[in-house]
Amino acid sequence: MKKFAYLLFGILIIALMSACAPAMNTKLSEFPMMYQEQPLSILILPPMNESTAADAKEYYSTTIQEPLAFYGYYTFPYPVTADILKMEGIYDTELLVNLPLAKFKEYFGADAVLFTTIKKWDLSYMILASTLTVSIDCQLKSTTSDQTLWEYTGTVVVDLSGGNTGGGVGGLIAKAIVTAISTAMADYVPYARQANYRALSSLPYGKYHAQHNKDQQVQFIDQTPEETKTDAEPLTK
Amino acid sequence: MKRRLLLLVVFLTSVFSAGCAPQQSYYFGNYSQTLYASEKYQNEEAYVKHQQELERVIYESEVRNLPIPPGICAELGYINLKGNNSKEAIRLFQLEAQLYPESKHLMDRLIQSAKAKESPDASESDLSKSNDPVSQ
Repeated sequence: MKKFAYLLFGILIIALMSACAPAMNTKLSEFPMMYQEQPLSILILPPMNESTAADAKEYYSTTIQEPLAFYGYYTFPYPVTADILKMEGIYDTELLVNLPLAKFKEYFGADAVLFTTIKKWDLSYMILASTLTVSIDCQLKSTTSDQTLWEYTGTVVVDLSGGNTGGGVGGLIAKAIVTAISTAMADYVPYARQANYRALSSLPYGKYHAQHNKDQQVQFIDQTPEETKTDAEPLTK
Repeated sequence: MKRRLLLLVVFLTSVFSAGCAPQQSYYFGNYSQTLYASEKYQNEEAYVKHQQELERVIYESEVRNLPIPPGICAELGYINLKGNNSKEAIRLFQLEAQLYPESKHLMDRLIQSAKAKESPDASESDLSKSNDPVSQ
């Protein structure tokens, strides 16, 4: 009995550790430009929306400023900068993607701009499983060199129909139906916040964080290449 | 024995997961939620609530001896600027620039437009145009 308990304990520890094992990268090796340029201030651009939900853009935009501040960056207040950009006639970030970004330095004094793309913001129904997916692609670009300093994707998939213990099949189906009826955007926003934190986990810390310039060797899961492969390929062709 | 082991596992799990949480150095209150509500409902009630939340974040940060989060003073200042309360707007923009030197460039620009709004020679008819911070 005792032996079994030890074995179980050992397996649990290995399981916990191995969760971090697949393809790890250090922040320095993946994003050396971040440490070279040391951007302090970030201007968040209106999100680009590739999902089928038309309202996702407005709702998602309210979730990104706070986590960036916690990562130690100065973030310009999004509602203010979005308003100013609108007055300048910039509604769609899509138009800015390949343009020089020096204007943002000139006008706002921003060291970097954050492009966000909502890749997925939807519910999918299947007979036995329905899932809610929020996937956000983030890209930080320098306003001095126009180079991409950092990019990562955060995805959250929520299984609405199962995976939980307890509650009969009937209960789970009822739950899924209830969720389907209240497909209000409100359901997505907490998951968008989670997706943000997942994406930001690879971002080097900024000036206002205690770990600033001390996190070069911090490792994170290298998930981006795979995700972009599966997501981007059908789009480009 | 079994119970102690279980306790250890629970403890270890919490240690591992605690490592993922970002360091709490700001008080944001319900900032994201009220901002989201004002996007969603776009009515006076939601706007007022968001403004009150901004004021509360500033107050609570001071009470907790934390720095006011980036952008909060600037956003409240901007609301004041739009509500023709230029004096308060200028005070808040200056505070933001003082707290976060990175914002000074934009804050100076906004202070300028607030001052332009304050001066009496700005005629009523083209108020919105002349105080548009972008056109200056």
